[in-house]
Amino acid sequence: MLLGGLVLLVLLTFVSLTQGLADISVRTVIEAITAPKDIADHQMIQGVRLPRTVMGLLSGAALAVAGAMMQTVTRNPLASETTLGVNAGAYMFVVCGLVFWPAILHQYPLPFAMAGGILAAAAVYYMAGGRKGTPIRVALSGMIVTLVFSSLTSAIILFNEETTQGIFIWGSGSLKQNDWSGVQFSWPLIMLGIMLSCLMARQLDVLSFNEETAQSLGQKVGKTRLFAMLIAILITCVSVSVVGPIGFIGLVAPHLVRLSGLTRHIWLLPISAIWGAALLVASDTISRTFINAYGELPAGAVTAAIGGPWLIWLAMRVSRKLSGSTGSGAQTSMSVGGWQRSVPYPLIVILLCVLLAIVWMSGLAIGNLYLPWSEIIAVFMGQGNEMYSQLLFELRMPRLLTAMLAGVALAISGSLMQSAVRNPLADPQIVGVTSGAGVGAILLLLVFPQFSSWMPLGAMLGGIAAAAIVYAVSWRRGLNPVILTLVGIAVAAAGAAFINILIVKAQLLAAPALAWMAGSTYGRGWTEISRLLPAIVILTPLAWWLGRRVDLLAFNDESSVGLGLKVRQTRLAVATIAVLLASAAVASVGAVGFIGLLAPHAARLLVGAHHRKAVVVSALLGAVLLAASDLLGRVVMIPKDIPSGIVVALLGAPYLFILMFRAAKIR
Amino acid sequence: MRFMKLPILLVFLSAMLLLAACGNGGAANQNTQSGSGQAQPNAATPQPEADKSAEQVRTVKHLMGETTIKGVPKRVVALEWSSAEHVLALGVQPVGIADIPNMKKWVKLPVEIAPEVVDVGSRVAPNLESIMLAKPDLIIGMKRNVEANYDELSKIAPTIAFDSNPAEGQGDQYTRMIDTFKEIADILGKNAEAEKVLQDLDKTYAEAKERIVKAGMDKTPIVLAMGYSNQNAVEFRLSTDNSTAIQILNRVGLTNAYKAKKFEMNGMTTTDVEALPALQDANFLHIIQDDDNVIENQLKNNPVWNGLKFVKENRIYALGGDMWPYGGPLSAQIMAKKAADLLAK
Repeated sequence: MLLGGLVLLVLLTFVSLTQGLADISVRTVIEAITAPKDIADHQMIQGVRLPRTVMGLLSGAALAVAGAMMQTVTRNPLASETTLGVNAGAYMFVVCGLVFWPAILHQYPLPFAMAGGILAAAAVYYMAGGRKGTPIRVALSGMIVTLVFSSLTSAIILFNEETTQGIFIWGSGSLKQNDWSGVQFSWPLIMLGIMLSCLMARQLDVLSFNEETAQSLGQKVGKTRLFAMLIAILITCVSVSVVGPIGFIGLVAPHLVRLSGLTRHIWLLPISAIWGAALLVASDTISRTFINAYGELPAGAVTAAIGGPWLIWLAMRVSRKLSGSTGSGAQTSMSVGGWQRSVPYPLIVILLCVLLAIVWMSGLAIGNLYLPWSEIIAVFMGQGNEMYSQLLFELRMPRLLTAMLAGVALAISGSLMQSAVRNPLADPQIVGVTSGAGVGAILLLLVFPQFSSWMPLGAMLGGIAAAAIVYAVSWRRGLNPVILTLVGIAVAAAGAAFINILIVKAQLLAAPALAWMAGSTYGRGWTEISRLLPAIVILTPLAWWLGRRVDLLAFNDESSVGLGLKVRQTRLAVATIAVLLASAAVASVGAVGFIGLLAPHAARLLVGAHHRKAVVVSALLGAVLLAASDLLGRVVMIPKDIPSGIVVALLGAPYLFILMFRAAKIR
Repeated sequence: MRFMKLPILLVFLSAMLLLAACGNGGAANQNTQSGSGQAQPNAATPQPEADKSAEQVRTVKHLMGETTIKGVPKRVVALEWSSAEHVLALGVQPVGIADIPNMKKWVKLPVEIAPEVVDVGSRVAPNLESIMLAKPDLIIGMKRNVEANYDELSKIAPTIAFDSNPAEGQGDQYTRMIDTFKEIADILGKNAEAEKVLQDLDKTYAEAKERIVKAGMDKTPIVLAMGYSNQNAVEFRLSTDNSTAIQILNRVGLTNAYKAKKFEMNGMTTTDVEALPALQDANFLHIIQDDDNVIENQLKNNPVWNGLKFVKENRIYALGGDMWPYGGPLSAQIMAKKAADLLAK
């Protein structure tokens, strides 16, 4: 393993050094390293190419070691800089710095990245329930935090197109170096980090037992975990601050080494470092091979292409091991607590309807021009001012209606999904519907740019395809919730990576694609409504009718079967309806993420676990939420329009933090 | 059971509201169709067409389809900065421009944008309500500004989408820009003003070319690069022959040393410092932002950069961070003059 890694590394280094825009042969490369002269080619190698390759080696090593440590500390084979949101957090803070404090950023890129990385990791940790977080919860929390940060980043990039013109390529991970300053900055920190982690090797070995065993062996578990995690985040952020967020190395390299049988950290860490370095340089080499055909591809794009399928395979392996211990109520419990005083159900429904009516009225009245209600009523009677009526019927009403209908679809979809997967953190996104829809839509835009009005169709097909992959893979295991979740996360992550690649390719289309990805009700009108309404009208009664069976799905499989439920079929039916609803919504408003998570969650807080009641309440909440987001997005920064998906993410973030505290308290 | 009826009742109520709205929406639609495209925006009721003298009906074929324009539009909304520049160059103030603050930052024009001009939002997601309230009778932009909601925009006013980047074999961006300028002038009935602007432009070219030839600077080819930093890397966007900027420089006597390997529809190739040694005999013109001065910062100690001939012989010419290479005839004049100022000192 060691020898193989080293040989590969040396080979790849040489290949990488010969690549570039100027033609330089291998012999020149060898000469440049062994006997450098003052000619242009040698200067090129010394000054530009060698730093790039060395940075690749350093980054790869850092990410691999960080990934290995994260996996040990959280005892979660799926943990890595990508899945714990560290990459997304660091990226967001760097983009903020670029836009608001560019001078400080150019001087001190590391503190920005560190701040973002630590914030993200802390958020994921607490949301997953702190120390008692299961692998699935951690993975789900990581995904949600990544989404929140990505939304914020998209928003900032969207409103500052010219300032952030180059950031997209960097945002997918680019190893380009200009001189040795990047290497000089990072190698002491990375080497220090790796050395410290090797010194901790024995403590890390002990950590892989469960907590009680470790404590009884005399290990200070809390301190060790904190320290190890901090080192891991530090070296990740050093890498991110220089080359941008590169994902999946921390997942692939350590597991490759583990698979070969080396699990003791004293061997695992250094050899992961070597393989991580080799992997990253290989990805960079591959990405530059196609430079004449496709232009510059960021290294992160290639690591995503490799890492995505790997993550899916890994999820399947992990789920096989975990499937024995599922079904125990405490870990995958749907319970999220409830109000102490129970409010009667009809009252809740009435209150929500009133709220919806208020949002509806405000949405119609408020905008660039405040329309008093006397005018609105006049228009409805057919006697109003012509311009007002155009304003109302062409612009405000269809947009508001689309928002409400999409909110309803997403909320019901989320509610069904959470029941099917028996996890209160589930969302249509976790079966990859949103990412798949994004891939489908952007692929369509790229391959058939003249058919850009068919984008919704592409989105729907993409979403259904992604969900189909996830179901197909988990079908053989009875659509086990754990497996469904893990594979879904893997597909979603791979999809998100693909979307980044595609956006880099379609440079000119970046801004509309970004707005679509964030989820937006901008410009939505009667066409979208005509698409959404049939879907909702057909599928919602079906969801209602499945009510009692969905309630039974909340128990573990054996109990449900014992109560006479055809578990697999029901789960498939529920999941199918959820995916269809979500696809229809995504096709209309783009990738609006949080409603399927927040609305059903809040509904369950209000009315408990009764599915039929919860569906009605979620639907109302979803409609209110998306309509209110639409209104806010239109009004807050007139005349600029903030995409509703971003507003939802911003509104949802505080609610997520509250979720974290509740989750920590319940345990 | 009683309680189950409540949500159903509410559903019926909202359905009724919806139907009422749809019904009125259909009627309102018919009213507004005849209302748009009028040259008299303040009338609440449609005026009879016979009132207008010399009313012409023109059908314009463009990227997104066909648009019919009645009469001569006076209230224009421009959704892209180059379109706004075309209108301003003709001496017309648009009623609305997209993203005015950023336009003032990036596009420096000799013509002031009047304070009454309404900011209609971002260029890719213009605020439809703002546009509607500005009561335009013509909306112009590039494909990317209008493709998201061409139908809605068409309902407000006749909408035309131009394309600034022709595909391979269909001409260069400069010619396309001039054609677009002439077309907009024709629609707005300002052909005389357009002629004057273009004549001014040709005069500027002639003067600049004379100065450059006299200084002998036309004998050395040039390369035009936009440089910016990307965390640790420096990227250069080298302009290709089909770009507007190179075509402008051609007209003042300069030739482009950079030949792109494949057709670049955006008119530039993104590359890094490695591509420069092959071009080091040329004069290096650049557009670099002051707060991201890659030459002073990142490239200061770069051996490849310092080894380039044009660095050693100080043949570097800064066009300035405020030079806008994607503009119309006014921006072209600014670029031509600046090039002559720099090279023919």
